[in-house]
Amino acid sequence: MLAYLLNLATLICINAVLAITLNFIMGYAGIFSIAHAIFFGVGAYTAAYFALHASASVFLAIPVAMLIAALISLVLALPALRVRGEYFVAASLGLQVLGVTVFSEWKSITGGLGGVIGIPPADVFGYDVVDPVAFLALAATCLVIVLIATTALLRSSFGRNLKAIRDSESAAHAFGKNVAVIKTLSVMLSSALAAVAGALYAFYMGFINVESFTLETSVLLMAMVIIGGTGTVAGPIVGTLLLMLLPGLFSYMSFLPQTEIGSIQQIAYGLAMVLLMIYRPGGIVGSGTRAAGKGKTA
Amino acid sequence: MSALHASIAAHDAPPPDHDVLLSIRHLRKSFGGLKVTDDVSLDLRAGIVTTLVGPNGAGKTTLFNQITGHLQPDAGEILWQGRSLLGKKHFQIARLGLARSFQDLRLFDQMTVLENVLTVMEPVSWLWQPGGRNGRSERLDRVHTILERTGLADKADTRAVDLAYAERKFLSMARILAADARIWLLDEPASGLDRSSYERFLELLRSEVQKGLTVCIIEHNLDIVIGISDRIAFLDQGRLLADGLPAQVLNDPHLAAIYFGDQAP
Amino acid sequence: MLLVQLLINGIQVGVLYALIAVGFSLIFGSTRIFHFAHGATFTLAAYAFYYVYAIAQWHWTLAVVAAAAAAVLFGVALNRFVYVPIQKHEGSFFTVFVASFGVGIVVQNLCGMIFGRSFVSVDTPLSRSVEVMSGVFVSPISGIAIVIAVLFFIGLQRFLMGTHTGMALRALSENPELVRVYGMSPRRLSMTVFALGSFLVVPAALLSAASSGLYPAIGHHVILISLAATIVGGVGSLRGAACAGLLLGLAENLALLYFEPQWSEAISFIVLFLFILFRPSGFFGRATAT
Repeated sequence: MLAYLLNLATLICINAVLAITLNFIMGYAGIFSIAHAIFFGVGAYTAAYFALHASASVFLAIPVAMLIAALISLVLALPALRVRGEYFVAASLGLQVLGVTVFSEWKSITGGLGGVIGIPPADVFGYDVVDPVAFLALAATCLVIVLIATTALLRSSFGRNLKAIRDSESAAHAFGKNVAVIKTLSVMLSSALAAVAGALYAFYMGFINVESFTLETSVLLMAMVIIGGTGTVAGPIVGTLLLMLLPGLFSYMSFLPQTEIGSIQQIAYGLAMVLLMIYRPGGIVGSGTRAAGKGKTA
Repeated sequence: MSALHASIAAHDAPPPDHDVLLSIRHLRKSFGGLKVTDDVSLDLRAGIVTTLVGPNGAGKTTLFNQITGHLQPDAGEILWQGRSLLGKKHFQIARLGLARSFQDLRLFDQMTVLENVLTVMEPVSWLWQPGGRNGRSERLDRVHTILERTGLADKADTRAVDLAYAERKFLSMARILAADARIWLLDEPASGLDRSSYERFLELLRSEVQKGLTVCIIEHNLDIVIGISDRIAFLDQGRLLADGLPAQVLNDPHLAAIYFGDQAP
Repeated sequence: MLLVQLLINGIQVGVLYALIAVGFSLIFGSTRIFHFAHGATFTLAAYAFYYVYAIAQWHWTLAVVAAAAAAVLFGVALNRFVYVPIQKHEGSFFTVFVASFGVGIVVQNLCGMIFGRSFVSVDTPLSRSVEVMSGVFVSPISGIAIVIAVLFFIGLQRFLMGTHTGMALRALSENPELVRVYGMSPRRLSMTVFALGSFLVVPAALLSAASSGLYPAIGHHVILISLAATIVGGVGSLRGAACAGLLLGLAENLALLYFEPQWSEAISFIVLFLFILFRPSGFFGRATAT
């Protein structure tokens, strides 16, 4: 029982980092990405490769993972953000599809469909983090750091710029904001921090493969952010908790066919998304109306 | 009609020699077959309020959009102190010192009044602003001064979406003040304001103009036009039909007919 | 010979992609709704056909009717019960997109639960390929599908150019206010748009069910193609979407000359990406604002 709870708590921390970073661009800059799982994956594969070939120290593996993820996100962001929001959605969908194919095929780095095995445990100041409790502490620490970082950013002038773009992109332009640069920066930051979750995941599981980084995962992350409430600090955390505890809840309902739990879950949050958008776009934490503004290039 | 003449006469004094800040030369723009800007030439001078008038669809907002870089003209030139603005992006032109308001305001609705003004005052798009702590407190001081001038000091922490109509209009002006610009392009800034708010707006405008600000306003309400303008530019179907002193332009019966739609131009 | 086969395959697939893309572009161009659930429409139509023909074992004509009905009813109902309520009170791009996305997830998983997650396909006598030239195989059903698709295009063209409703639809994509000039209600018009746009996926859905096979997540591929083709062809241009759909079909197949099959879906993305990079307005699109 304890092992189950520790596992759940650790995964919640990792997913919360992902949800918070996705909310950073969706809820504040108004950028909709269906490719967040790819940056999760980039972080995981990079950290795994680095740990296997260079060093398992978190102080090295994590920054390297962040850097690679940020660079790759540049590739996506630079062209796609110059044009309308719908284009970014399309490009991110494409990146998600392309990313999964790359993860499945690039055997030398990602191990192909088989994945990467035998990832050494995280090394913190020379100490191997093997004990589940210790790892939970590590994951929780990272979560707190990410929370502090994103909150600080959102309170700063950068955060104001993001919110300005979200509320009225044309007005932001009109007052001299280089919207493209701001959006690109936010995507890079979001991706880099998502890679932190990826690195943690790689160290935690000891083994990773492409199944964890598919469109399904991106969809789950989006659901967490939306259901919890975009544009709020508590929203992504609430969303993560809810959606991670849901499977456990469903497995208690023995009248549901156990083999279909995954589908039922997805149906549940698909429905939740639709109903929320009709009746309460702000999500659970948000107010009745959505926190973000028009979202169109108005 | 005689009351109209009387109020016009009060503004008849010719303006002293003012520098040209923005020069529009032979601008043309078409959408499909429709000419929205048809060989328009206009100078905007420092310390002068020029009002763009004309019937709906005359191309006034389109002209603004071409000046601000939102739209690229098909032909012609737009010169800022002699340098061409064509091809420059929207935000680059804003950085040169041009501030613009929108007819539908486009406030940053979910942010507070203070944040709306502060955001505009923070020029850099990177992660942090120059000046450190001193710079930040200096900016905050300036924000408070602007909020005082626009009567929004006690609403500093209210979200823009929760403000009353007149307060929203003044917040729009507050943002413009924060931009510290040399030219203001205002799209119906005074529409819907009650008497006392309008007076406050006028006072604000006049004090800035006296410091050498260049202003171009789009306005429909003739009373406001008369009260505000140093010069009037009359646009119809993309063409500039008149550009001169209010007395000259408003006395012209031909233009009045077009404006009020009595006869075909 | 491989080249010829791939070209033929490319055209077969491309023509159907063109139809799907035009359906999406029609809806998006007219209503500005990011109809992510277009893939779900396809999935429902295909599975409806599969169910009626292969499981219930009814006549194929009934199966076709079922597919068409499923597509049209789904599209119209989605508009009426999801998009319209959303647009009534808030209707930003985000909310509409998320709702559409949510619907897509529900449909995909329902189909997965009911029909299973693996490939299913319908075996018809027309599905089997015939060797027309040495080394070149075409299945009769593909040929039929192409003919139907071309007929659809001609019909669509005549509808849009010739009828009152059609012209109002074109006006809607240019300038929504104009619709009232035509004396039509925007509501009825958007219902028509959704019905028509959804109907256009049916030929492709039928062909997929009868040849390459279906799986619940097939909607993703459909929406990716729709999006890619709409952007590459130029937002607002139906002609562009059709041409781009054809191009993507050809690209996916011709890529097999050089790349392995698992990369073919990625090809669409690469084409899309290149266009966003170098020509965001697409083939025929109006210039997009920054």
